[in-house]
Amino acid sequence: MPLVKKSASQPSGGLPADDDHAGLLQKLSSAEPDARWNAARALGNDPKDVPALAAALAIEPMPRVREAIMTALIRIGDESSAAALLPYLRSPDAARRGAAIEALQSLPGATAPFMLALLRDNDSDVRILAIELVRGMPPAEATRLLCSVLEQERHPNVCASAVDALAELGTAEALPALQTCAQRFAETPFLPFAISVAIARISDANGG
Amino acid sequence: MANSGQGGHASHVTPEDVRRLCEFLYRRTGMLFSDDKRYYIDRRLNERMAASGSSSFQSYFALLRSDFDREIEHLVNAFTVNETYFFREEHQLRCMTSDLLRAVTRDRPPDEPIRIWSVPCSTGEEPYSIGIWLMENFPEVDNYQIEIVGSDIDTRALASAAEGIYGARALMKLPRELVARYFEGVTADAYRIDPGLRDSIHFTKVNLVDPREMARHRNFDIVFCRNVLIYFDDASRRIAAENLFDCLRPGGFICLGHSETMSRISSLFRVCRYPDAIVYQRPEIERDQD
Amino acid sequence: MTRIEQGAASLPRVLVVDDSSLVRLYYRDVLEKSGFDVDQAMNGVEAMERVLAQPFDLLVVDVNMPKMDGFSFLRELRRGKSEAAALPALIITTEAGREDAEEARAVGANFYLVKPVSEADLRNHVAVLTGYRR
Repeated sequence: MPLVKKSASQPSGGLPADDDHAGLLQKLSSAEPDARWNAARALGNDPKDVPALAAALAIEPMPRVREAIMTALIRIGDESSAAALLPYLRSPDAARRGAAIEALQSLPGATAPFMLALLRDNDSDVRILAIELVRGMPPAEATRLLCSVLEQERHPNVCASAVDALAELGTAEALPALQTCAQRFAETPFLPFAISVAIARISDANGG
Repeated sequence: MANSGQGGHASHVTPEDVRRLCEFLYRRTGMLFSDDKRYYIDRRLNERMAASGSSSFQSYFALLRSDFDREIEHLVNAFTVNETYFFREEHQLRCMTSDLLRAVTRDRPPDEPIRIWSVPCSTGEEPYSIGIWLMENFPEVDNYQIEIVGSDIDTRALASAAEGIYGARALMKLPRELVARYFEGVTADAYRIDPGLRDSIHFTKVNLVDPREMARHRNFDIVFCRNVLIYFDDASRRIAAENLFDCLRPGGFICLGHSETMSRISSLFRVCRYPDAIVYQRPEIERDQD
Repeated sequence: MTRIEQGAASLPRVLVVDDSSLVRLYYRDVLEKSGFDVDQAMNGVEAMERVLAQPFDLLVVDVNMPKMDGFSFLRELRRGKSEAAALPALIITTEAGREDAEEARAVGANFYLVKPVSEADLRNHVAVLTGYRR
């Protein structure tokens, strides 16, 4: 029979958790990619490690090690972790932006304190990404934030993102803001259509 | 498209509603449904709407988004056939012998084993299926040493797998001659797998997110990891994907469940589209930077 | 040559790729009224699955989905050997900036439009790129 049973377990070589904590932090800046990879994967239990992880993320050239560092930050999952990830929303590199957004979407609670500022960022692309994050919040809070966007936002694509998010999770509280927004953008393409769909969906959900 | 749900209440589920459901499921679990699956999503959705007492899609969707009463898990369960049997998802086994093994055995010396992992293996149908399939469909099966490992977090399932006794239902997709060749009838509804095959599979306990346990599983050429990552939360899914990366040889392949995608989980792997299946590959050569 | 130019009997088929369900609904609304058969995908992964499964005449692809999925999808499509690899593509972007235009050319996009897209622009460009006007 060509199928062979391996009788012994494979040896567990170089298990990262065998290092002590200080050793792991040191390995985060090793010249060896696999040492950094293993160190990142072994960290993620202690909020005090966030500064070291954030510093490592900033200079890490290897994509999979960056992934592992972000996983460690997600596991810690507090506001300092979210703060470490936020700058990457502005990255000129689409892959890094995408990775940051995905990571932050796993941390709605930790990201909440930053939302107001993000939704008023000077960069419309950042505001659009912030709206992606709002989707992960409870409907009442998300509706409140998105309505404030609609009230103050002049960029049609940012409004469109807010309308899309409200269509998915908005409560009846959003209806007045949506109607006002529709009037403001009455002469523009797409938004009036989008708002009418959002209003219909929200009304349906509320016994319409 | 109007449907009457079970229990007598009318539920009006539109194709657009189904789309929105699929979008949400993709974002939360990475599951992606092709068009030919859509018809049965409708049915499962109506089942869950009835079970949760939702009178409309909108109210069900709100419940789902908040994961009330673990509704996401209930919905995912409704979509994954949890029954296990031999030669389930045969197209992936075909992909293994048609495409993956060719890549694996290129430049592979005959004294270096081919290692295949089934995790979770549950009560063993999958690793045994892999063994049977290889012996029946891999022309070079006698030229290589093939090590098959089956792992699960559930030690009772593992014990059952090691015993190798199955009811007729588990064998329903096997042609009669394969049943005759690899099984022995014990009672009317109990078949024991061939002892030679049974003894050639190595069964281990493993938790996909436990780095120590995972570190004992190395150098796999092909991993079947089906319909389990969809149940994990974001952090656990990422940890599992990183662990699985390390368990693979460079160039090794992972097969997920039919509706699962890796893209939402992890950018560690590259997508390989073959005629019989979409699989994910640990890069053979890695650049140190992007 | 598009299927239309070859004299295909059925309605021309357009695949709309955008992560916003409202945008997809809008494009579908506009294009169905102009006689097109419209399918949709919410991201590059689903788009790839759809183009490999069914014939299309045109792709309308948003390239600003959070992960720049649209460009990756088109790059992967162009690299592959499927029949769909040469499909004409209308790219929808949020910037009129030069980087997008370069990238658009690099993935073999035939034209690009800036969001929000007007009904007339969408109708006209799709008509031109498919060679079909009702």
